[in-house]
Amino acid sequence: MNWQATTLAAGDNVATVLQPIAAGETVAVWTAAGVIAITALEPVALCHKIALADLAAGTAVIKYGQCIGQTTAPVRQGGWVHVHNLRSRRAQAAGGAT
Amino acid sequence: MTGPAFDGFRRPDGTVGVRNHVLILSVTGLTGPTARRIGRAVPGARVVTTPYGSGLVGDDAALQRRALTAFGAHPNVGAVLVIGASPPLVDEVVASIALTAKPVEALILDDCDHDALTLTERGTRIAARMMREASRARRVPVPLAELFLGMECGRSDPSSGLVANPLVGAVVDALIDAGGRAVFGETIEWLGAEHLLTARAANPEVARAIEAAVLRRERTAIDAGLDLLGNNPGPTNIAAGLTTIEEKSLGAIAKGGRSPIRGVVGIAEPLPGPGLYLMDAPAYAPESVGGLVASGAQLVLFTTGVGNSFVSGLAPTIKISGNPVATRRLREQLDFDASDVFARRASLADAAARLQALVLEVASGTLTWGEILDEGEDVVSRLGPAL
Repeated sequence: MNWQATTLAAGDNVATVLQPIAAGETVAVWTAAGVIAITALEPVALCHKIALADLAAGTAVIKYGQCIGQTTAPVRQGGWVHVHNLRSRRAQAAGGAT
Repeated sequence: MTGPAFDGFRRPDGTVGVRNHVLILSVTGLTGPTARRIGRAVPGARVVTTPYGSGLVGDDAALQRRALTAFGAHPNVGAVLVIGASPPLVDEVVASIALTAKPVEALILDDCDHDALTLTERGTRIAARMMREASRARRVPVPLAELFLGMECGRSDPSSGLVANPLVGAVVDALIDAGGRAVFGETIEWLGAEHLLTARAANPEVARAIEAAVLRRERTAIDAGLDLLGNNPGPTNIAAGLTTIEEKSLGAIAKGGRSPIRGVVGIAEPLPGPGLYLMDAPAYAPESVGGLVASGAQLVLFTTGVGNSFVSGLAPTIKISGNPVATRRLREQLDFDASDVFARRASLADAAARLQALVLEVASGTLTWGEILDEGEDVVSRLGPAL
């Protein structure tokens, strides 16, 4: 395998890592447009997500070419995208959407 | 026979079973322990029970009756002993199962002097005779089109959406193209992906039914004051890398492949015809699988990320994972190892061909780990308060 992470569709701004990633590691990411290199800013566990670009707070996170929620804090390229900085846009109690 | 085929049990009503179970079916809560006792006395017999009874009302009562009857009428069941506390319900269930023309007998606690031991003794004799008679049945070749698959995912992780669910979707697409039928449920896991499902709806009415079903579940969560995070995705999903219900749903719907969606059925309702259907039903695996099997699915394709041991007792349940850690650890739980696709050592198309071969093999009698280890249970959802 010559990449350690993969996107699932064109337009994805996160990739799924196919092996545990250490902080500082260079991660080869498969995208429809070719393999790109990202430097991991922090450890990313198997199957978790890594940001492919700087994402401001409130940015739609795209995986499968679809919105899976939005960032709740700025995430830098190479950052770990998980429940601490990504929230659903659905099934929120009234006024609860952030 | 040309094209893919398997060896199944042709029933008197023309349906095809992939197993030939003798079923001890307790339709009231009072007789459940007796059903299990008879099951232990006749090894190999399957047991389905319910903890509920006469307090159920309305749709809830109708669902219990429909599902319990469906387990008895299921094509994987060759003969049924129905037991219950009192006559009316037992008589109705027996009359419905008898329409399949399979052997069905009934025992009622009222007729056994209210003595569970008398019921056990009489039931054991009947079940033993049924077991001997059932063993006379032989499999015959049947085409793939006779297969009805239920699809389920449980304890998913991101590998489910990446590998295991698309793999199942490919097998389902081939089945639908061949004229077979398939169904998946877990309505809350359409949330965030419903626009992709409605785009495949066979007509606008089906699209509206899909949207309405998702909104009802979302409303249920909101009205309960739930933030779905921590419930669905649950803690195990989150630890494994899933974040939001949208992410989980987009992976989950891949197990339904790409075929048109013919309709939305209720829990345990039979499909109106061949093709791919959705079931508006709870997502928790025992309730979900119970509904799929009650609707007539002969075999369940159950994807998992980190592992999930739950299977149906009546429908062989093939466990599939692409997670490289889970497939190494859970050798006696996972029937199909798709970690080579995850690691890009195998293509999805090659793995789908292998999975279809395993489906036909299991449909023809090869045992799943869940069957060997007797992990199976078949349960019915509850809908509301009881009297």
